[in-house]
Amino acid sequence: MERISPKPPIIDFSKVSKIYPPDVIALREVSFSVQPGDTLFLTGMSGAGKSSILKLICAIERPSKGVVEVAGHDLTRVSATQLQSIRQQMGVAYQDFKLLPRHSVAHNIAMPMEVTYTPAKTIRDRISYLLDALNLTSKKDIRVDKLSRGEQQRVAIARAAANYPPLILADEPTGNLDPTTTKLVMDLFEQLRRAGTTLVIATHDRSLYLNSPHQVLELAQGKIRSHQPANIPAKSMPGEP
Amino acid sequence: MKTLPIITQTARNFSQTIGSQVMTLITVSLSVLIFSFFSLVFFNLQRSGVQLGEFIKLIVYLDQEPTQTEKPLLEKQIKGYAPVEKIAFKSRQEAFQQLSNQLGPDRDLLADLKPDFLPPSIEVYPARNLTALGNIKEFSDFLATLPGAQKVQYGREWIERLASFTQLVRLIVYLSGGLLILTSTFMVSSTIRLTVVTRQAELEILRLLGAESIYIKAPLFLEGLIQGIMGSGLGLFCLHCLYKWVQSRFNGQSLLDIVAFSFLPRSMVALIFAASILLCTVGSLISIRKFLRV
Repeated sequence: MERISPKPPIIDFSKVSKIYPPDVIALREVSFSVQPGDTLFLTGMSGAGKSSILKLICAIERPSKGVVEVAGHDLTRVSATQLQSIRQQMGVAYQDFKLLPRHSVAHNIAMPMEVTYTPAKTIRDRISYLLDALNLTSKKDIRVDKLSRGEQQRVAIARAAANYPPLILADEPTGNLDPTTTKLVMDLFEQLRRAGTTLVIATHDRSLYLNSPHQVLELAQGKIRSHQPANIPAKSMPGEP
Repeated sequence: MKTLPIITQTARNFSQTIGSQVMTLITVSLSVLIFSFFSLVFFNLQRSGVQLGEFIKLIVYLDQEPTQTEKPLLEKQIKGYAPVEKIAFKSRQEAFQQLSNQLGPDRDLLADLKPDFLPPSIEVYPARNLTALGNIKEFSDFLATLPGAQKVQYGREWIERLASFTQLVRLIVYLSGGLLILTSTFMVSSTIRLTVVTRQAELEILRLLGAESIYIKAPLFLEGLIQGIMGSGLGLFCLHCLYKWVQSRFNGQSLLDIVAFSFLPRSMVALIFAASILLCTVGSLISIRKFLRV
C-alpha cells in the first residue's frame, strides 16, 4: 500500500542497481521512497543489500544504474559543496562504527558538530545529553579503543544523532547490544522521530520493528521482497524462527 | 566562529606528528640560519668594501701639469669611462708639500731637493661599490691611456683579493639560498604528507561528516605557515645571538675596528622571514594538492 503524500520524499530510489566489481550484484532495480519524518526498517539476510542501500544514500557508493535522490538532489550529479551540505544534514551510524579509536568518546561525538562550527557550549551540552541518554556518561573522556563493542556502537549512534540531523541512517544499530541497552537506543530513536527526524534502520532484529507502525522494506538477493508496515506481520526470513 | 575549530584541528595535527614537526622545525631553522649567516657575511663584506673604498685611490702620474683648460677635459674623459667619487689634481708643489707633511720630523731629508722634483698627478677615487672595485684593473688601463699619463698606481693585489673573496661569498649566498628553498619546501611538504597519511582515517570520517574542504585543508595549510614562522624566527634569532656573541667576543680586535660589523638591515631580515614563510607554505600546498583527496 502506497501512501499519498504532498511532501517530496527525502529519499527516493528509482530503479537502482548496484554491482560491485567484478560482477557482484548487490541491488537490482530497487525503487522506494521515504517521506520526511518517516521511519524505514531495512531487513533481510546478510548480503541482501541493506548496507548497500545505506552506502548509496550517504554517497559512499554510486549506483551502477538508476537514480538516488536525497532531499531532492540526485547524488550522482551533486557538486562537492552540495554533497558536503547533504552529509551535514545526515547522521550515520556505520556497521563498522568509523570512530577514531585513539580519541575520546566526547571528541568522537563532537565531530559532526565541530565540522558545522557549532558553539563549544552547545557541543558540551549535547554531548552530556547523549551520553546520559545512552548510559555512557562515565565513559566521556575514555579513549574509544578502550570501550567494548557495545559501547563503541552507542558512541557511533550518539555521533549520528549529535547534530540534530533531519535524516539518520543506522546500520545494525543494536547488533552488539543487550536488550536493556537496545531499549535505550530505540528510545533515543523514538525521541528523534517525534522531533521530525527521518530514520532509516538496517537490522536483522525483528523485535525492533515487529510491533511498530513503521515501514519495513525486506530485501532478498538485492531485490525488494516485501514493502509493508511492520504492524502487518512480516514473512519469516529463511533461518529465522 | 570558524577560526577556533580550525586552530584546534591544527593543534591536533601538531600533537599527533610531534616528532616530525620538531625535525622539520630544526631543519627549516638551520637552513634559515645558514642562509642568513652567509647573507650577513656578504652584507658586511659589501659594507666593508664601501668603507675601505675611502682608502682606495688610483694615482695617475703625469709628465707635465695640465693647464686650466685641459683639466676639465681630463675630468670629463675619466668620468665618461667609470663612475668616480672624486678627482683631485696635484701639482708638483702640492706633491712636495704632501711628502714633506708625511715625513713629519724627518722633513729635513728634503732640504737639498727642489720642490718641483716630484711629478704632477691626478688622484682618482672610484665609486664606492665592489662592482667598480672588480673592474678597477680595466679602469687603471684606461687611465694609463690619458694624454700625458706616465704611470698609474693603486693597491691592485689587495683590491683583486677582496673582489674575488666577495664573489666567493656571493656564490655561497646563492647556494645556501638554494639549500633553503629545497629544505624548506621538501621538509614541510614531507611533514604535511605524514600528517595526511597519519590522519587518513580521521580525514575520511570528516569527509563523511560533511566537513567543508576548508575545514580539512586549512589546518594543514596553517601547519606549513606555522613551521615557516617558527623556523625562520628561530633561525634569525640564532643568527642574532651569534652576531651578538661575535661582537662581544671580538670587540676591539683589529678587523672589527677597521670595518664596522653590523647586523642585517631590518628590510633584509623581513625579506628572509617572509621568504621562508612563503616557502614553507608552498611546501604544505604541494602536499595538500598532491596527497589530500577531499
